[in-house]
Amino acid sequence: MSVRHRLRSLWTIAYMNGVIPVRRQPLYLLNTIASPLSFLFFIALASRGTLLRPAIAGGMVLTMISIGTSLQADLTHYKQDMKFQDLVVASPVEAPIYVAGLALSEFLYSIPGLSVFVALWVATGPVPGVFDAATVVGTLLLVWAFSSALGFTLATYFEDIRETFVFGPLVSLGLTVLPPVYYPATFIPAAYRPLAFLSPATYAADLLHRAFSLGAVDPRFGPPLLAAPLDWLALIAVTAALFLLAAKKARWREP
Amino acid sequence: MPEALRSEELGKTYPHGKEPALDGVSLRIPAGTVYGLIGRNGAGKTTFVRIASTQLLPTRGRVEVLGFDAVATPREVRARIAVIPQESRPLYFLTIDELVFYHLRMRGMDRRIARERTDTVLRQMGLADRANTLVSRLSGGLRRRAMVAMIFASDAELLFLDEPTTGLDPLARREVWAAIQKARHEGRTVLLTTHYLDEAEALSARLALIERGHVVVEGTPAEIRSRVKYPFRVSLPSSLSEAELAPYGEVSGVEGGWLVFAREDSARELTKLALDKNLAVAMAPISLEDIFLQLVGRPLTEGDALAEEGP
Repeated sequence: MSVRHRLRSLWTIAYMNGVIPVRRQPLYLLNTIASPLSFLFFIALASRGTLLRPAIAGGMVLTMISIGTSLQADLTHYKQDMKFQDLVVASPVEAPIYVAGLALSEFLYSIPGLSVFVALWVATGPVPGVFDAATVVGTLLLVWAFSSALGFTLATYFEDIRETFVFGPLVSLGLTVLPPVYYPATFIPAAYRPLAFLSPATYAADLLHRAFSLGAVDPRFGPPLLAAPLDWLALIAVTAALFLLAAKKARWREP
Repeated sequence: MPEALRSEELGKTYPHGKEPALDGVSLRIPAGTVYGLIGRNGAGKTTFVRIASTQLLPTRGRVEVLGFDAVATPREVRARIAVIPQESRPLYFLTIDELVFYHLRMRGMDRRIARERTDTVLRQMGLADRANTLVSRLSGGLRRRAMVAMIFASDAELLFLDEPTTGLDPLARREVWAAIQKARHEGRTVLLTTHYLDEAEALSARLALIERGHVVVEGTPAEIRSRVKYPFRVSLPSSLSEAELAPYGEVSGVEGGWLVFAREDSARELTKLALDKNLAVAMAPISLEDIFLQLVGRPLTEGDALAEEGP
């Protein structure tokens, strides 16, 4: 397949899975934004608005993490229930194109949700500069990439769609709800605070908090430990590791 | 005639399987023909299709598809084949037209050609008037036909159809048959797995009967018929005893009477005997179903060949 044909395949998969279903049932879009907005609502309410901006950053991260969760569900459903993946395997479409097409379709689902958070970000603070906007875009793209790689890796272990119902919320919980993504790390007792940095989402949140002019997630762990370059490095390293794992785990043709 | 598919001593034992699902299967499938693979559930048909269509690795042997090694050069093979996997279902949120059209686009086809091929195949398969109906609103039979249309619209040279008519009503089956015959007229090769023997016989130039991972018999339907010991069947009522019938051939008890597989002269003699006694009798050449019964020792419909065949 030429590059043009590969791009055509990728876009067709994304369009089939991400645009047509939404055109038929726009309520699907609410699904991608329901959880992130619910957390935002309760945190903003409970903190009397003081944590509104950190929660907006958290909402952005959770929206992108949810892509990975949806991807693992779609991959499992298409492989185990529909046998659609078998049909694709025995066709000119290559594994990375198939996974990237599905991941792009999940991204398309998330655009309206992200737009809401971007609007809230702009509306609740100073007008973001180009550097801050680029930081947000770059960070969210990396979160999309690592959550998709994680979703793909997990999907290779599942033999039933119901397993994704269990692991999806657990992944969201472990990556975004428990770590200081919606709130500053200072809310965590100091002794447990280093644990937060086991989650790659914490590094993404730190970058977003900086772009939102909120300072570091944990001021005590501010520069140099959590300086932005280290955040980028950590995120890129996690993404690369998850991609390697996904490539190693991928079973396009079954053994 | 050039070969579209050639397998040599192909074998597969699944990681958690006790018995091999496929055990030394060697087949030659001529290009431009319909080849039928028949056998009971779990006999190894799907395993063969999955290996040949690059979905599954064999544990031994080799398979060449359209001149390319399916194990070593899967990309070359995948560019030239299309598959309807067993128990596959179409994407329910698409219309029939979208299902076919976007499948072609996914395979890399130009928009104009994909549009033309979609319209043509929907017309041929009797689906044009439902082109804009959502798959989720179709009956099971129509969904299956939509899947078949999707594969036939492709430009693949070799089509693997793994039980494409399971669950279809007789009319829908005939429409799928017509599409298969058209594919053959276009010079494409079709590997058809089925447990409907009438289907295999009506469509296939050659057949292989698989049982417990082995090819039991292979050839044209006529060749297969000629290889069995008793080419005729005589149905008789239960008022005759088994001892009376035994000298004429192989006797099987069936509901309400006996079935005797016999050579032509014995079958005629037995028919005359029954008519002389004013008994209802029917004599006919054996069906593939009968051949299966004679060769395997039990009916095609009786249980699964293996308890587990893997994914």
